[in-house]
Amino acid sequence: MRVLDRKLFRELWGLKAQVLAIALVLAAGLATYVMAAATLDSLQRTQRRMYREFRFPDMFSNLKRAPESVAARIAAIPGVREVETRVVAPVTMEFEGYRFPINGQIVSLPAGAPKLNLPHLHSGRLPEAHREREVLISDGFADAHKMRPGARLLVTVNGRQREVDVVGIASTPEFIYQLAPGSIVPDFATYAILWMNRKPLEAAFNMTGAFNQVAGTLDPGASLKSVLDAMNALLEPYGGLDAHGRKDQVSHRYLSEEFRQLEQMATMFPAIFLSVAAFLLNVVLSRLMATQRGQIAILKAFGYTNAAIVIHFLKLAVLIAAVGLALGIAGGAWLGSGLAGLYRDVYRFPYLDFAILPGVIGISAAYCFLCAMAGTVFAVLRAARESPAVAMQPAAPGLYRASLLERLGLERMFSQPTRMILRNIERRPLKSFLSMIGVAMSTGILITGGFWSDAVDFMVFAQLRRAQIEDLAVTFTGPVPGRALQSLTSLTGVSHAEPTRWVPSRIRFEHRSYRTALQGMTPDGSLRRLLDRDLRRVELPVEGVILTDYLATMLGAKPGDILTVELLEGNRAVRQLPLTGLVSEYVGVNAYMRLDSLNRFMREGDTVTGAFLSADMEREVGIYSRLREMPAVAGTSARMRALRAFYDTLAAQMLMFAFFNTILAATIAVGVIYNTARITLSERSRELASLRVLGYTRGEVSYILLGELALLVFIAIPVGCGIGYSLAGAMAASARTELFRVPMVVNVGTFAFAALVVLIATVVSAMVVRHRVDHFDLVEVLKARE
Amino acid sequence: MATPAPAEPIFAARGVTKVYDMGEVQVHALRGVEMDLYAGEMIVLLGPSGSGKSTLLNILGGLDRATAGHVSYCGWDITRAREKELTAYRRKHVGFVFQFYNLIPSLTAKENVAAVTEIAEKPMRPEEALELVGLGDRMNHFPAQLSGGQQQRVAIARAIAKRPSVLLCDEPTGALDSETGIVVLEAIDRVNRELGAATALITHNADIRLMANRVIHMANGLVGSVDVVENRLKPGELRW
Repeated sequence: MRVLDRKLFRELWGLKAQVLAIALVLAAGLATYVMAAATLDSLQRTQRRMYREFRFPDMFSNLKRAPESVAARIAAIPGVREVETRVVAPVTMEFEGYRFPINGQIVSLPAGAPKLNLPHLHSGRLPEAHREREVLISDGFADAHKMRPGARLLVTVNGRQREVDVVGIASTPEFIYQLAPGSIVPDFATYAILWMNRKPLEAAFNMTGAFNQVAGTLDPGASLKSVLDAMNALLEPYGGLDAHGRKDQVSHRYLSEEFRQLEQMATMFPAIFLSVAAFLLNVVLSRLMATQRGQIAILKAFGYTNAAIVIHFLKLAVLIAAVGLALGIAGGAWLGSGLAGLYRDVYRFPYLDFAILPGVIGISAAYCFLCAMAGTVFAVLRAARESPAVAMQPAAPGLYRASLLERLGLERMFSQPTRMILRNIERRPLKSFLSMIGVAMSTGILITGGFWSDAVDFMVFAQLRRAQIEDLAVTFTGPVPGRALQSLTSLTGVSHAEPTRWVPSRIRFEHRSYRTALQGMTPDGSLRRLLDRDLRRVELPVEGVILTDYLATMLGAKPGDILTVELLEGNRAVRQLPLTGLVSEYVGVNAYMRLDSLNRFMREGDTVTGAFLSADMEREVGIYSRLREMPAVAGTSARMRALRAFYDTLAAQMLMFAFFNTILAATIAVGVIYNTARITLSERSRELASLRVLGYTRGEVSYILLGELALLVFIAIPVGCGIGYSLAGAMAASARTELFRVPMVVNVGTFAFAALVVLIATVVSAMVVRHRVDHFDLVEVLKARE
Repeated sequence: MATPAPAEPIFAARGVTKVYDMGEVQVHALRGVEMDLYAGEMIVLLGPSGSGKSTLLNILGGLDRATAGHVSYCGWDITRAREKELTAYRRKHVGFVFQFYNLIPSLTAKENVAAVTEIAEKPMRPEEALELVGLGDRMNHFPAQLSGGQQQRVAIARAIAKRPSVLLCDEPTGALDSETGIVVLEAIDRVNRELGAATALITHNADIRLMANRVIHMANGLVGSVDVVENRLKPGELRW
């Protein structure tokens, strides 16, 4: 090994604490990138592979009922390659030992081998032909209940209860995301997918020789839109109007949205983290290089060329970067596999190909080395450009003058050491500013970590404690007369019931449209409240609709605009209605109108599709068993369960991310502050040792050094709070999707936490530096030139 | 020992001035220096602080540039040399010894010497250079494990290992006590005699002048007088 390289390694070792701190800053930035990029990559590759291997269809349509012969006419539409029809029915379930309501869907398996949506068997086998009692159950449900093949379930289809045997646990590409209608997050314990042979299901659901769902694939190059139009035209007489592509398939749409969000995480967070890391690295490395001024001069005196010297110090920077890269990739992989595992709990991929692609590593490496070089080259060149004779002299005393505060006549307020601090900060305003900004940035990043949990808490508070305050929500099998509510209020434990109605509809404004359920509400209802951004109640108009604010933004509409509302059920009426108000909701997008107006719109009498109940939840088990006995009740959900499910899934993901964020941000904060302190020490050790020789105490000398650091930190914390608030705003804005919006809420506690972490990092760094000040070898420091 | 009969000077400085621009003030470090240094010769530069000794030495060594005037090294005008040429000149021809040793603390004695031999053309082995200054048994010590005199001898070994034609020493004994100083001067003297490197040595200490062939007295950025030493002493014979 060349001698200079040996020098390099020894010096790196000597600087190990600082090297580690710098590398950690870089690693933290990289880890966010690797984590998000690798997770996104892995999920997307898994999705593509699963779609391919298990034949995810290109198009879908639901309908009321069509004879099987229609299938051939669909297959004859130009561009259609394969068609598979099936029967799908809502079910409720129960089994021995579990008394809460379980809702789900039962899906038919074709008589021969399935062509599309092939079930992936996790265990067990497919139902044998002609076996009427055999079913597959979804893996999420099986996991939640630790259910194995051989289990027995009581299933209610179309009001009739029957017993079925579980023979296998499966998943299919269409149910990667399994969301019960009306819920905001998956709850695997109370929602299941069942697969059963078609024959018995047709019989149970009065669909013999008919189907109510169809899926198909397209020829390469076929136009999806023209096929969908042809399908809608063909299926309209059979109650079908919603032929759609993958884009509107529920599971696919959620996955796409999730990927979109993850993609934002994979670009936005790392961009913020990495730019902060690069900036800090630049500051730290250029100051580190400045302390090497004397050595650079000696090497030049020996006849080393500028290029050789720059390369020598670049190696130092590159080695630091390499340590950061290794830590960043390892950390990112670890966090990423954790995050991907978390996603897998929600998105039921049967397997996950977790891998960090060479591209991700390449980008990380390129970024890392670029950061390191940018921080080094200029500083070394600056030092190398100095004439060696000058560089070898101790640097000329800097030009100081009385600080602004002193010039303002306040000098008597400051002791001599305090004046030194002020003059030092003022003499090198850029350096002081950069150090301050570095600390402020890490404060800001810490705030973004806490912001996520503040936002989640606020979402839960607003949505599940202020807007939705029913105890139970009941869904009927279809539209039923309003008097059905009386049978609900008569249940022991139920004190109050409010009706509601969902009608699938399309809302248009100008050239934009959105399919959603139009929800009819009672204007004086107390269990579901429409609230604006400030949690104030939004009044339901007699004529007109209220939209989730995000939906209005998507449509480009504002209150006062006239919307076209097209019902996709019943009389399929189309009407022009004014948008009268906006409701602030964080999950999903919805449209609301008065229930009586909606029924008039449908030209129907008092009709409902569901109800919200206020109930004594001590008696919930009794209520559930009575509800199960009502044939009109298709499903029941409990708000507190939804709350738990929310925290278990969506919130868990976000909080995990926030937790990583906080760890990484704290790492950055410590790295920056420690380095600032250490470099300041090495820059000024001679001066400070001289003061000690002159009779200053250790405390006084430490005060001069650390007082400067403390002053910068105290300025940095409020600046950092501002930066953090802006970053959180940017993140909230970029995380807005139709699935959910993150409210822009940062609690005082989050600011306080960030400030606390920064202060602790400062105190610890100060203690390390103080220890060094206490152990100055005065004679050596003065004798030797650094 | 008699002065070698000088034919061509290895260095010739003519009208060398150096002005440092310190923002509001200009410091005239050299005001038109004229001097020669002959091959194999040892000269001592004597003079008070601020007389321009170090500035002159740095210009001779290609560490700094003259503001005006010419310095030729073997007929080549180093005042007109480009940065690259100066680097090559230092690398091939010049050995430096500084008052504060300027060793690289993270390298051992041998490695400090090797840092120079690695880039030189026909260097001696680092061990050989260290033997020459009497440090054969301290090769693997780090600077922090060596006394001041030993560190300075490592610096001398480092300076001579490339077999320089010029050895420039800026107060090599300035930070040392007399006993250690003599050991260091012996090393320089030996290098001068055995390798024939023309040696210029700055000192405050007038007694050291007796080990030189000639003594150049400097004051106020000018050469005051030049004395020829008739009876050059060995460092061991010096007293101060």
